[in-house]
Formats: sequence, C-alpha cells, structure tokens
Amino acid sequence: MRRMLALLLCCFSLPAMALSVTFINPGKHDEVFWLTATRAMQAAADDLGIRLQVLYAEREHPRVLALAQQIIAQPAAQRPDYVVFSNDYGTAPELLRLFEAAGICSFMAFSGRDDQPGQPAIGLPRMNFRHWLGSLEPRAEDAGYLTARALIERGRRAGLPRINGKLPLLAIGGDRSTPSSLRRSEGLRRAVSEAGDVVLLQEVHAGWSQQRAQEQGDWLFRRYPQARLLWAGNDLMAFGAMDAWRRRGGTPGKDAFFSGINTSAQAMAALRDDSLSALAGGHFIAGAWSLVVLYDFHHGHDFADEGLELVRPMFTLFDDRSAARFMQHYGKLDFSRVDFRRYSKQHNPRLRRYNFDFRQLL
Amino acid sequence: MKTANYRPLAHVLIRRIVLLATACALLLSVVQGVLTYRQVQQRFEATLQDIVSSNLPMLSVGIWDIETEAVRRQVETIVAKPEIGYARLNVATGQVFEAGDAALLRAQPLRRFEIPPPNNRGEPLGTLLIAVQPALLYQALTQALLAVFIGYLLLTLLICSLVAYVLRREVERPLRGMADFASRLAPSSLTAPLQLSRPARPHHDEIDLVAHGFATLQAAISRHIDTLDQQVEERTRQLDAALSDIRELSIRDGLTGCYNRALLSERLPSELERAQRYRRPLAVVFCDADHFKPVNDRFGHLAGDEVLRAIAQRISSQLRQDIDWVVRFGGEEFVIVLPETDLAAALVTAERLRAAISTSVILADGRTVQITASLGVAAFQSGEDVESLLNRADTQLYLAKQGGRNRVMG
Repeated sequence: MRRMLALLLCCFSLPAMALSVTFINPGKHDEVFWLTATRAMQAAADDLGIRLQVLYAEREHPRVLALAQQIIAQPAAQRPDYVVFSNDYGTAPELLRLFEAAGICSFMAFSGRDDQPGQPAIGLPRMNFRHWLGSLEPRAEDAGYLTARALIERGRRAGLPRINGKLPLLAIGGDRSTPSSLRRSEGLRRAVSEAGDVVLLQEVHAGWSQQRAQEQGDWLFRRYPQARLLWAGNDLMAFGAMDAWRRRGGTPGKDAFFSGINTSAQAMAALRDDSLSALAGGHFIAGAWSLVVLYDFHHGHDFADEGLELVRPMFTLFDDRSAARFMQHYGKLDFSRVDFRRYSKQHNPRLRRYNFDFRQLL
Repeated sequence: MKTANYRPLAHVLIRRIVLLATACALLLSVVQGVLTYRQVQQRFEATLQDIVSSNLPMLSVGIWDIETEAVRRQVETIVAKPEIGYARLNVATGQVFEAGDAALLRAQPLRRFEIPPPNNRGEPLGTLLIAVQPALLYQALTQALLAVFIGYLLLTLLICSLVAYVLRREVERPLRGMADFASRLAPSSLTAPLQLSRPARPHHDEIDLVAHGFATLQAAISRHIDTLDQQVEERTRQLDAALSDIRELSIRDGLTGCYNRALLSERLPSELERAQRYRRPLAVVFCDADHFKPVNDRFGHLAGDEVLRAIAQRISSQLRQDIDWVVRFGGEEFVIVLPETDLAAALVTAERLRAAISTSVILADGRTVQITASLGVAAFQSGEDVESLLNRADTQLYLAKQGGRNRVMG
C-alpha cells in the first residue's frame, strides 16, 4: 500500500504542467479504425487538457519497440507522464521492461495482458512492473457474438438452403494470436452453439487484409458451394469476401450474407445498402476512455477499485438508424461533440463506476 | 648404337601405363557412372519421401487454412531442393501454384501426390505434381567422372614420373654406362673392370647380374687371349727350331755332319779378313782319303759312307773345339780351317790328322777297312784371297798324292 502511494506520488510530481500522454498506435496512420481511435482520443485529450502525442508503428511490430526506445531516449523533462500502448502481437513484455527501466508509467488500451504459453508471465499490473498501471479492453467477444447472431438471424429469414437441417456458416478471422481476434471468434462460436441450427464449416484467418480475405473467400466458396453465410472478423475482410462472392456472380445481401466489425464509413454504407448484413463497432473509443481513466488516476481517482485490468462492453450492433446516426455525428471523424469530462470521476465526483458502452455516444 | 629406331624403355613402360590407366579410368567411369546414377535416383526418391513426410502435411494445412502465401512458400521450398526441378500444385478448388522450370512438365515423368486434408478425412485437397531436376543427375555424373579422371590423371602422372625416374636411375643410366664401357672396350683395356656409379644397396638386381656377366665375359675373353699367346709362343719356338734345323742342314753335310762347301765359301772369307785385319796366322788343310773308290767298290756304298763318317769323326776329334772347323769339300775330300795357326803348327796338326785317319776302321758289320789320307797344308799369306789359299793347299795335296799318298805336304 505504501508502495502504491509512492507510485501515485511519482505520477503526481508535475501537477503544475499539463498532463502529457504518448500513444503508440500499432496501426497505420491512414487505417480507418486506428485513425478513428486517434481522433476520439484527441477529442478526449482536448476536453481533459491532456497533451497527446501519437506515434504510429504502421503495423510493423519491431517498430513498436523502436518507438518505445525513442520515447525513453528523450530527456526526462520531455518524456510523457504516461504511455498508452496496445498489446498487439505480444509486444507487451518488452515494452513493459523498457518503460519500467525508464520509470515511465504505462497503460494498455485495446489489447491487454495476454500471457503466451512458453513465455514468462508478465504478472498483474503494478506487481512485476510497478509502472504498469493497468489496462482497458473492449469486450471483444461481444463483437463476434453480436454480428454472428445477427448474421444467423438474417440467414434464417432468407430461408437459405440447409445441410442436414443446419445453416452452413463460414468464418474469416483476423489472426491466431491477437487476444481480441481470438475473443471475437469465441463470440462467433458461442452464437453458433446457441443458435443450434447452424454449422460452422471452417474458420480461416486473413490477417485483417481485404485482399487475403477475398482470396480465402474465393477458396471457401469453391470448397463449400452450399455456404451462404460468411462471418468476418472486421469490415475489410468482410469486403474481401464480398468481392470474392461478386466475382463468382453473386450479390452480397441477396444470395449470400456477410457480417463485419468496425465503424468505417464504407462499412456503414454497406450496412445501409444491405450488402453487409450485420455490423458491430465502437470499440475504437477504448483509447479515449483510457485517457479519461488516466486523467482521473492522475488526479487521485485510481481505477483500482473497478479492477486494474478492465474489460468492458463497448461494441454496438448497428442497424440502419444507428448507422445513419453514427455517420451523421462522426462521419467526419469529429468527436468534439462528445464532452468527455462528463465521463470523468474527477469532474463527476458522484460517478462510481465507468460506463464505456459506445451506444451512449450515439 | 643410337639408331632411328631407338626408343627408351621408359617410353614403352609409360605408354603401357597410360593405356592401362585410361582403360581402368574408363572402366571405373562406367562403374562410377552407374553408381552415381543409382545414388542420384535414391536421392530423388529420398527427397520425394521427404516431401511426402514434411512438405505435404504443411501444404495440406496451408491449403486447408487457405494460407496462400504459406502454400506458395511450401511449393517454392519444394522446388528449392536441388533434386526438384518443377512443382505444380493443383488445388481441388481450381487454384494452381507452380514453381521451377515449367518446361520440365512435359519433358520429365511426373510424380503425383494426392494432398489429404489435415484430419485425413474427406476428399483430397489437391494434387502435387513434381518433376525431378535432371540437371542434378548430369551434374553429379560430371562431378563423379571428373573426380575419376582427375584422380587417374594424377595417379598416372605420378606412376609415370616414378617409372621414368626409377628406370633412368636404376636401368637406363647403368645400361648406358655399360654400353659406353662395352663400346670403349679394347684389347689393351680388356681387363679394366666395369665401373657403375650406383648407390650401395643390400640386394642385387638384374643390372648387377648383367654387370657380373660382363665381368665373366671379360675374364673368359682374357683367358682365351692368354691361351692364344702361349700357343703362338709354342709355335714360334717350334718354327725357330725348324728354322735352326734347316739352317744346320744348309751348312752341314748330311752324311758326315761336317760343314758343307756353301758354308766354306760363306765363312772362309770372313776368317781371311779377320786374319788379315788382326795379322793373325791362319792355315788351311786339304785332306783326301787315299784309294777310296776301291773301298766303295769292295765294301759297298754304305760301308763307304761309314768310312767317310769315321774319317770326319777322327778329324774332328783331333781339332780344337770351337776354333778349328771341318768342311766336306766333296766326295772323300775335306777342308780343315785352322784359325790362329801358322804353317808349322798346321803341319803338326795335319800330321796328327793323318795318323788318326790311318788307323783301321771297324764297320758296323764287323769288317775292318784300312784307310789312309793325303793332306796338303797352306798358311794364309797377307793379301791372299780364298781361292788362292785353297788352290795352294790343293796343290800341296796333289804333291802329297804324287809323293806316294798317306803323307803331309806343305
């Protein structure tokens, strides 16, 4: 307890100056999801008076470490108070070691702790790595589950042909290692098993790439000519599979149905023109919520009482109306209409538990 | 000895060795070629097995999971094996992956592998066609044969150098030495031993045998020449003896053993010359047997000869050995030459001769013949020639005959 107080004191050491946060963005600077996440974070930072710096790793894992070293190499005065990063491709242990050695407080957003078998466990926040404050993850399983359930429902409504009384379903997942990817698939499987009249023929992994998804979609449609339902781990992969289907002469939304995840304008448009049958998203907001949490922590409202590793529902299943609203409000990736101070414990002393659901922002 | 046909032994040997080595190399090349061919075939089979055991499962998983990049990499991995020239993957869903030299698709017999699904249930996911890399076989063959040929080339070079060296050192040089020695061999130097500058060695070899044969030959020839010399010497001695006999015959009278007239005319002048030069006395006695013809008639010619011999013997016995000498002048007539003898002494000698002759002669058959002789003596007078001296002695003989025979006149 004493130790924790000392840690808190260390983080409060510069109260006079503006709070500074650096976000190591694992994605590409022009990638819709990560751009949206960054814009939302910037809006939150503006509301909370946080100095935010965003560094893009451009989806190259080694670059994440290089960026971390770049942060550490700065003079102590110019170092950020907090570093936010996403544990993509298991880069967390090395990042935590680097920041611990430099004495920089860190926080994981989007992807949290994911102990890989065969590697030393990094332990819980504030244990082995005292400067690792905690993590905030969207409950990824929701995304898989919500979209799968909606997709199955659409299939049932369309009266698709069945094999042995079951609707054949295909899945294109992201990758085999990222926890959020695995959890989305878990959600899919839960939805399938709950449905009872659906059989998951095969799940392949396209690495989040539209092009690979198109290729795999082509293979899958040839391999399973009866399948008319395809679940995808994100919007791009859904588009890839839809491309493949179109090339085979089909019309997505008419003779085959697709689901995706994310809130890109393209995905919203596809949902509205019915080529995409189910879409969930909103978890890009995890970055902005992380800033709220860190802001409160910085001002003495530790989130420890809600848990150091926060996994919260953020995904929203979009329908026509919510999609229209999303495009209307955030179509230009402008989140300034949201006042993030409203969700801060510092500014709302009566707030006891954070609500991170995206739906409240629509 | 060096002729147009000359060809050193080393050349013959080296030529044979090269021929043999070439034959061996060819034979071994065939064997090596067959072995290499089998080896490469086994390598191909092993590689195909390897592909079946390691690449096919990966391909199966890659196709099943539709990891096209992984599938492409697997196909490339297969073709990256040096034994594989071309690989083509026909996926059941229609996709095709290929790598390597597509020309081999037609040229080579293709190996076909069905790709089972990862759980081994259901339809094959595709077919893998593999063509082996023929260049590998040629390469392996080339390498193997090159190794054989280079090996044999080196070995042959080594053996030939060794043969040339050994032949030169052990055979050619000694033989040349012997040839030179033999060509220089002359009667005078026949016994000179053959010197070969060869290092000392514990064993004898053919060269030593030849050298020994040389020595034996030299000794035999030498012995043979020695024997010839002895024979020549013997013959020469015999010839000398014969010549001496002939000479003796030419100056002696065959019947009496006295000198003959030829000798008298040859030797008397030199006696006269000496007497003249040194003013020494010299006397000549003419002696003729009295009434010798009746002796012949009465006792026969053989008895006559016997008597003549007796007369000659009696004359010789009365003379000084090696100073005085007797010549049978003809028939029963003798000339006695008395060097260093003046007239008086010659007369005494003549008288002694007359006395010696006039004793009776007992013939071989026991009969007795009484004989006498007349003698004429002449002493050399300064400036006198042979004929004159002899004439004067002959004149004294005539006088002795006239005077009644059996007497000395001078």
